[in-house]
Amino acid sequence: MSANISTMRHVRGFDLARPLSVGVMLLVMLPLVLLPLASIFIFGTSKGLQSFWTALTAPEAVFAMELSLVTSFWATVFNVIFGLFAAYVLSRYSFWGRNAVIVTISIPTAIPTAVAGFALLLLWGPYGVLGQFLSPDTQIMFTPYAIIIANIFVTFPLAFGVIMPVFETMSRSLEEASATIGASRWQTFWYVTLPSLRGAIVSGALLTFARAVGEFGSTILVSGNLAGRTQTAPLYIFSKFNEGQVEAANSVAIVLALFSFVIFSILFFARDWFEIE
Amino acid sequence: MEELNLKNLTSESAASVRGVSKTFRETKILEDINFEVAQGESLVLLGASGSGKTTILRIIAGLEEPDTGQIILHGKDVTELPARERGVGVIFQDYALFPRMTVEKNIGYGLRIRKRSKQEIKDTVNKLIKLIHLEEHCKKYPSQLSGGQRQRVAIARTLAYEPQVLLFDEPFGALDAQTRVRLRREIRALLKEVNVPAIFITHDQEEAIELGDRIAVLNVGRLEQVGTPFEVYNKPETEYVATFLGAANLLSGVVRGQNFEIENINLKLDEETALKNGQAGKLVFRPEDAFLRQPENLTQHYQKLTDGTVEEVNFVGAFERVVVKLNLSNRQTVIVTRPKTETMAFPLVIGQTVPVGLVRFRLVPDNGSKSERSNRAPIISK
Repeated sequence: MSANISTMRHVRGFDLARPLSVGVMLLVMLPLVLLPLASIFIFGTSKGLQSFWTALTAPEAVFAMELSLVTSFWATVFNVIFGLFAAYVLSRYSFWGRNAVIVTISIPTAIPTAVAGFALLLLWGPYGVLGQFLSPDTQIMFTPYAIIIANIFVTFPLAFGVIMPVFETMSRSLEEASATIGASRWQTFWYVTLPSLRGAIVSGALLTFARAVGEFGSTILVSGNLAGRTQTAPLYIFSKFNEGQVEAANSVAIVLALFSFVIFSILFFARDWFEIE
Repeated sequence: MEELNLKNLTSESAASVRGVSKTFRETKILEDINFEVAQGESLVLLGASGSGKTTILRIIAGLEEPDTGQIILHGKDVTELPARERGVGVIFQDYALFPRMTVEKNIGYGLRIRKRSKQEIKDTVNKLIKLIHLEEHCKKYPSQLSGGQRQRVAIARTLAYEPQVLLFDEPFGALDAQTRVRLRREIRALLKEVNVPAIFITHDQEEAIELGDRIAVLNVGRLEQVGTPFEVYNKPETEYVATFLGAANLLSGVVRGQNFEIENINLKLDEETALKNGQAGKLVFRPEDAFLRQPENLTQHYQKLTDGTVEEVNFVGAFERVVVKLNLSNRQTVIVTRPKTETMAFPLVIGQTVPVGLVRFRLVPDNGSKSERSNRAPIISK
């Protein structure tokens, strides 16, 4: 993490370019990033911690945050397990169409989330391509399962994108050595391959989780935004704001912002902890 | 019954490779490879890059499949067995130590996956750590070790499960010259101690001579010669072997009865040769086997070749290297090395005419086009 910054010096004496450029940069960054974040905290706590706490512990707010955590959790579990599996298959076997699969997996990164949600509705919705064959009580859309599916759709490329390069750069001789020593494929994967992927798995999981907790565009389409049933935390913020309950929206917004700070810090520092090599 | 007999017949050799061939995308990588390794013996597969030596190693280990042929380990045909059931120890070029395991864990890995008891694993690991002298490093990770230490851990890791044979893939490729020489001796001593047969692959002829009880020289997928370092160096059977191991001078000629004829020179053949009367051949002699003065007081057998003119005299440390242009129609030059005792007593100057005589030489068949791929200028090794 220690970047070696050498100070630029082209002129003698006082260099006007330095304070000027640093100043311009801060001037742009402040209103873009820092001030909006700061205002959440300033506004949210302006009426005292007591009212903040009351807004935060309202049953609907608690439910929304819980739902976000639970759906994101299952999306993360799926992404890690299936991301590992897909990366293993795609890096260890060469088959016809391998590159096409890799590109397809990565497509959702470039698709607007609203389009992703809309596409899922067209597939699984009550009148959708596949959804029309489901009976009314096994419908997937407008349930928490729909939220999980949408989360996976949007975040899978993130987890896969972190895990796959590690697989590809891993020295094949490690796995070959394990095989010649007498290990089965499964033992090799468990004792040799997986430990080398620790860092990638942790970052992949955190990225997925952070992205899924904040997911809005696809969720609002597939969930139906039913308060107390399929309303996640970002949807709660949006709905309360629309209803004019800015304080309720703000309290959950603070929690989400803090949450992303935590994930970001872990991602920023954890790489060093997990790379003992 | 029959199986028993077979076992007795092959009990001598710890590993044998029989008629192994492999083709990759219509390129022949290996052609009918045959050799044996005896119990406790170390054999070096020597060849340039692209000669197929790594492929042989991988086929023995079970990491690649041969198109035809068999791999037999201690009398058992393992050709169809996967790598993990062969009980072969491979020391990879990059050592392939598991980066997330300590030295202890690495060495104990083979026993751990074999579900041996904790006590047994502990005892074996301790014994092996003592054997490779890494007692104070047993809790370290591979990245904290030097190249030589990593290599010893890699060897100990395979010894833990008592391998049938050890395979070393360019074991000293990643090390500096001084460490290399030291490690060669260490490994040699270690192998004698554990008495496990070993196959090394290398492109370094000096390494081959020092490590191998026998050397197998490989040239573009074919075994040219298998023999002790002495045999391969002093009695090369092909031009490739002669030029790949050490420096060699080559002169073309024809066999005529008991003589070898180079233009109007006739050399008497004392040793029997595989070449037939009238066959084209090449005379091979080492730079140290030529003699550049009248053979007074010479106890060795000597035959004069022709006269020559001294073109260059170079001091190269322990000996002197002389380039001599022979009195032949093609004005060919040969390289001769002379020890200090000679250079002091009989100094040479450029332009001087000297008699060129040989104390030892070999004949190899002249295969015309085949010599193209072994077209290497004589190089004096350090």
